[in-house]
Order: sequence, then structure tokens, then C-alpha cells
Amino acid sequence: MLIDINAYVGHWPFMQLKYNTCEALGQRMDRFGVDVSLISNLNGIFYKNTQSANKELYEEIKASKRYRDRFVPFAVINPIYAGWQYDLEECVRKFGMKGIRVYPKYHDYEINDPSLIELVKKARDMNLPVAFNYKMVDSRQRSWMDIDYVAYTPRPEWTLKNIFPIIKEVPDARYMILNVTNSMQLNEADAALFNKANVLMDTSGRTLTDMGSLLKTQGKERFAFGTHSPILDYLTGMLRIEALRENEADAATKELLRSGNAKKFLGL
Amino acid sequence: MKDVMKYRKIDAYGNAYADDKLAAGQIAYADRLGIERLILSVPVAKQMGKTPVEFKAYNDLVILAVKRYPHRLAGQLTLHPAYLKESLEEIKRCTGEGMTGMKLYNQFKINDPVVYPVIEQFIHYKMIIHVHGESQLGVGGYRMKYDVDNTPAISVPEDFMDIAKRYPEAMFQYAHIGGGGDWEYACKSFRGYPNIYVDTGGSNNDENMVDFAVENLGEDRVFFGCDSSFYQGVGKVLASGLTEIQKRKIFFDNYNNILKRSGCGLG
Amino acid sequence: MNIDRRKFVSRSFAGAAGILAGSHLKGLSAPGRLTAKQEEALSSKPEKYDLMREVMKYRKIDAHAHIYFADNSPREQLDFGERLGIEKQVISRYLSIMPGTPEQFREYNDLTIKAIKKYPDHLLGGFVLNPAYKKESLEEIKRCTDAGMIGPGELYYQVKINDPLYYPIIEKLIELKMIIFSHAECQLGVGGYRMKYNGYKEPNTSIPEDFVDIARRYPEGIFQYAHIGGGGDWEYMCKTLQHSPNVYVDTSGSNNAENMIDFAVELLGEDRLFFASDNSYHQSIGKILASNLTEAQKKKVFFDNYNNLLKKGGRNVD
Repeated sequence: MLIDINAYVGHWPFMQLKYNTCEALGQRMDRFGVDVSLISNLNGIFYKNTQSANKELYEEIKASKRYRDRFVPFAVINPIYAGWQYDLEECVRKFGMKGIRVYPKYHDYEINDPSLIELVKKARDMNLPVAFNYKMVDSRQRSWMDIDYVAYTPRPEWTLKNIFPIIKEVPDARYMILNVTNSMQLNEADAALFNKANVLMDTSGRTLTDMGSLLKTQGKERFAFGTHSPILDYLTGMLRIEALRENEADAATKELLRSGNAKKFLGL
Repeated sequence: MKDVMKYRKIDAYGNAYADDKLAAGQIAYADRLGIERLILSVPVAKQMGKTPVEFKAYNDLVILAVKRYPHRLAGQLTLHPAYLKESLEEIKRCTGEGMTGMKLYNQFKINDPVVYPVIEQFIHYKMIIHVHGESQLGVGGYRMKYDVDNTPAISVPEDFMDIAKRYPEAMFQYAHIGGGGDWEYACKSFRGYPNIYVDTGGSNNDENMVDFAVENLGEDRVFFGCDSSFYQGVGKVLASGLTEIQKRKIFFDNYNNILKRSGCGLG
Repeated sequence: MNIDRRKFVSRSFAGAAGILAGSHLKGLSAPGRLTAKQEEALSSKPEKYDLMREVMKYRKIDAHAHIYFADNSPREQLDFGERLGIEKQVISRYLSIMPGTPEQFREYNDLTIKAIKKYPDHLLGGFVLNPAYKKESLEEIKRCTDAGMIGPGELYYQVKINDPLYYPIIEKLIELKMIIFSHAECQLGVGGYRMKYNGYKEPNTSIPEDFVDIARRYPEGIFQYAHIGGGGDWEYMCKTLQHSPNVYVDTSGSNNAENMIDFAVELLGEDRLFFASDNSYHQSIGKILASNLTEAQKKKVFFDNYNNLLKKGGRNVD
């Protein structure tokens, strides 16, 4: 079984995306043997009022039983925008959403903003995972209208160090760290805390080259298949798992990466 | 135009001007668009009464205007909460002259303790407190890293929430969701606050704004208002997806119900 | 064969797409509804997809890879080659150092020579140079060619590819029927492109317009524009290079944007793309297999296009 823990529908305002509807993503899943995808609506990154995006996603999934069977929706929440507490309740109770995605850079708040801390604590209490990502697109191809965290400049892209403070602040929440595309280095004390935290990372990130070693250092239960589709190609995240040799990941470990870890983490 | 004329209308946010010509101009627009009554106040937001002499003069202008067009205009008084004694006297004088509410500007935030005694008066009079509100990055304490160097005491949605919770029996009108600010933010803020109303005034007539307001606040807490932008004022309500009954409420009934509480309702 | 009709239909959303033809084009609002029966039939599991079998199906030449001054190099590169069925890798040690003196480029090329001598079955060598040192660069071309290299490796940012300093080098490479391969970027604030943004890069980094310029000056030259997946704006690159038929692009780089390969083939044609990794091996293969290219087109990109150009100089691998 394959579960993709990092996929989207919706639009990227600076570039046309393919396969960005439930229907088209579903065809992708069928072509490449993926059973279930965790999805959220990209539009929520750009709408000030993210709830409009969550509603769009809810409406789209509601339209077909196939969608309801195959997609697990995540809510996009901006904790510095009015009414998010109500939105979160609505997303969970009415829309059946199973987790939260946050975008501190796009939504313009710091990783230690009290509102984010409040949101993550609330998520913890509601038993919902909170997903962060390193970035959405490579900053070197960014549009002039996109955020200006740019690789190799004085305001670089994020690394794990930029995300870690929230984990330190609320160590008992459940975290997803997606599109791991830069350094995972932390100082020794932080690394120890990070290793203890309940974290699931996906396999879509461009800097995940030596998966075999990562499974050793991070543990085989901390990664799961993810595509970052439709921004990244549908297969590379899968290839990082399937290309592992027996001595790097045995059949049981591969199953964990394909779906076992996701199922356990999400309680599916 | 048939659709325009179909609805009785009270403009919950009118502007009176010192110049009678301008007032006449407002009436002309109201005639053109079938607006029965304009709720007036003076001054416009950028100027504010700094002294009792000033705010009394402003109120005199409103009184004069209403006297000229008694069947078309109703007045709201203004005051300066720091001059409590004079303000309380002015409330008495103006309501005695038939005024139906208060328009507060930005001398203080609406939730500043200085304003409490004034609010308490209006609870007593069962009249609405109309307050200039804004929802813009860098204004009134909201995300001040984007400071646009505006008056610091402008009330933002959070200030309304705060005061509405303190005085659940008072009625507050957040001015002009079409005034250029982030109306999604404002409407979402007020969802759980039944004593905050919004008017749809302002020069912005975003598609879906009125629907969004009704969706979030319900059909009873939204007033038709123009803030002198008459075409937008009427257009945005007519273009909405509201039912005819809801449009009637927005255009007329909701505000009239507020007026009725103080015995000033229209027949 | 006993095909369960229901299971057969159940394979795909694509089956459903027939019924819902074009429904997703109507935007995000609810697509058309299916009957309960259709829904039932369509909502079970997808067929298994054997990714590694697909990976191993294609012969591959990696037109852009690197080795390093590191203990695990080129062992690590060879390991990925074996793991992913990459027959040959064209390696170089790019000159990521300023000013890039003859002494430096010779040292870099020595590393490559050592590697190709040790692993002749898997590695093809590319040399680097700095055209600011004309005489030494021309000598280095001879030295490296004699040592068995197939052409330039990834030429770097010391001098723009269309700088007159490059002319004698390019003329020599044309004479040798070699592929003229250079690093390139396409980012706001780099190499002269919209410099009000500061990308903090070397000023002589080549950009797509520089390739258009030099390719027009030398229509008989064969140019390889490095890594459309290198992080830059690949839509801009492909659109700029569209009408320069003697500029080829390699698909390498750590970026594996969905639709990048399809877009490149649409604009440049199926003959002007080379499969390459720039050492991002998973992405390099994933992006091509995930594309909508036909099997024949994938074969071209993975192997034939590059090999056909090597043939011109008699350096083809089969």
C-alpha cells in the first residue's frame, strides 16, 4: 500500500500546475499505484482568509465517493488571521480534516509567534498533526512576486533550524516536516530533542540523497512516502524508497515507508 | 433601476457637510437611488473634534442639516471622550434635538476606559455607537511592522471585540467594511459578537463582500451604508446573492430595528 | 484470464475521467457526480506500479555528473549509477573556484583523469578550463583529450560563454566535434538578469541569453545548457532557447518540478534533451519517468540523443 503524505490541489499563482485537481491527482495515483493522498489546498497559502481554501477543498472532495475514499484533507490555518479558532473547529468537525498545514513565511509570522504556539498546543490537544515545510518552490526560480528567502543570500531558505523552535516550544505535539530540502543539522541538545519528538518527514525533499544513512541516523519510523505533488514530479519521492537496497531497508522497512509509518502516525 | 427602486433604504453611514450645496448633492443622490433616509454625522474621519467647542460646532452642522431635510436625514452626534462633562451635556443636548446615535472617531480607541462612561450613556438611550474602524496592515496596532503612520488610536476589529464583550448590552457599528480595509478579517473577527453590527459603506465594492458579511455575521447584523459612495453602496447589495427578504433587511429593516429601540424608527 | 470486471474498472480514476470528461476543467467547484454504482466500482485500489522495473528498462547516459575531492568519490557516484541503471556518467570536477588558474584547472582535471582511468566502463571524462588563459586552456584541451576525455565538462562562471575570450576555445571544440557544455543559471539578479535583485552570484555566470548569442555566432557548434532542474526558472530557459536549434539542455539538477520535462520537450523538441543528474540521481530519473513522454521519447532522452552527438566525434558509447 502507498500513502502520499504530501500532496496538494489548487493553484500556484506564478506558474501553471498540472494534475492540481482531485480528479487529475487521482489519475496520477492510479497510474503510479498510490492508494491514499493527504492533500491540502494551495490556494490557502495565498488567500488571506485561508478558510475559503479549506471550504473549496471540502466541496471538491465531497463531490465524489472516490475522493472521499482516497483523499485525507488537511486544513490550512493562519494563526495570525481573524477567526482561525472557529475555522479550525469547522475544518475538523464539519469538513473532516485530519491535520493542519501552516506557512509561517507566506503568512508572515515568526516560528515562535505566540499565536502559532497557541495553534500548535490546540492541535496537540485535538490530537491533530501540524505540518511545516522547508519551502514550496526553489527560491532560485522564484517569481518576483514570491517571498524573498533566497538560497545563498543573506536571507536564505529555511533549514531545520528555522522550524525547530516550535518543536522545542511544544515538544509533545505531533509534527510533519515536509519537503526537506536543506540542512537537517541541529546542535547536539536540539538534535536530541528533535529525535525524541513525534515527527514524520516525507521523501520529497531535494536534499534527501542518501536515504539509507538517514534511516540509520533518524530511525526508520520517521520517514514516509511523499511527493510534494503537483509542484514536484510524482515519482522521485517514491524512487527514494524503492531504490533502497535490502541492506539499507528490508521489505518490512520499505512497507513502513510506503504506508506503515503514515498509518500509524495519522491513526488511519 | 427597477431593482434599485424596489427596496426602501436607510443609509447607515451618511456624511453631512457644512456647505448646504454639498448636502443638497447628497439628497440628490439619495433621490436618484431611492434612499429614504441618511444617517448623518460630522466630521469625516481625518478631522476630529479636538475641543468641546469644535465638537459642538460639528453637531450644530448636523442639527442644521437635519432641520433643512427633516424627512430625509437623521443625525448622529459626535464628542470627545476626554471632555466627559461636556460630552455628557452634548449627548443630552443632541438627543434632545432628535439625534439617534453617536459617531465616534479616533481620539481614543473604542475600548479605551476613557470611553466607558460615554458608552454607558448610550446603553441608557438604547442608541447605537457608530465607530470609525479600520483593518489594515500597520494601522491601530495591527501588525505594526507595516506602519503606515496613521492615527495610532484608530479602532481595529480586536478593539471592537474587546468593548463588545465588556458591554454586551451596548450596540456597536463597525464603520464601512467597504472602506478599503480587509473586510474578511473584520467580518471573521465579529462572528461571535452579536452586539457588533457592520455597515457596508465605503468606496470599495468587492464582489462577494456582502455575501461574506452575511455568511459570517448573519442577515441581521449588516446595514446598508454608503459613506457617500452611493453607486457602490447600492450596487454591492443588489449584486449579492442575498434573497429578496435578506436584501430588505440589509437595506432597511435592520437599521430601522435599531432606531425603533430608541423610539426613532421609521414607519 | 479471468478478469474481474469490477476490479478492471476499479483500476483507475482515468476510467472515471472518461465519464467525467473535462470535469476538472471547470475549476475547483464540484465535478459532475457519478451514480452510486459507478462510484462503488471506481473507488477501490489502484494497480501496483513497479517503479524499479521502469527504472531499469532504459539504457542511460548521465550527461552531467561530478566527482569530488572526497574519500567517497567517485565510489558514491558509481553506487548510484549501479543502483539506478545508469550505464555511463559524464563526470567533471567543475571549477568552482576563483580566479580559476591553469594550475587549478589542471589539478581538477587530474582528478577526473584518475577516475576515468580507474573506472573506464562507467565514467566518461569532461575537462574544465578558464578561457581567460587562452594558451593554457588550449593546451589543456589537448592534454585531456589525449587522456581519453570526451569533451568539456561543466565549464563554469569565470567567463560568460559568449565572451570573445571563449571564441578560440569554442572554435577548437567545434573542430574536435565536441559538445560545448557550460554551467548556466536563470535567476532574478544573476548574470545580468534583472539585477535590481541581488542573487549574490559571480557576475560572469552565463544565462540563457548568452547561449542564444553564442549559438547564433557558431551555428555549427553543439551547446549543452546545464541543468534545467538546477533551481532556476526552467520555463524562462526553455522559452529563451526555443529557437536556438544547436543548444541542447540537460535535465539535471536537484529540482524535479512536475511538468518540467514535458514543457521542455514541447518547446525544444524531443531531440534536444539529455538525461542528466548533476548528482541528484533520484530526481533525475523520477522526473523523466513521471513525464508524459512516450517510451520512444524517453529512450531518446535517456540515451540516444546524447549518444548520437557523441557519434559525430566517434566517441559514442556503443
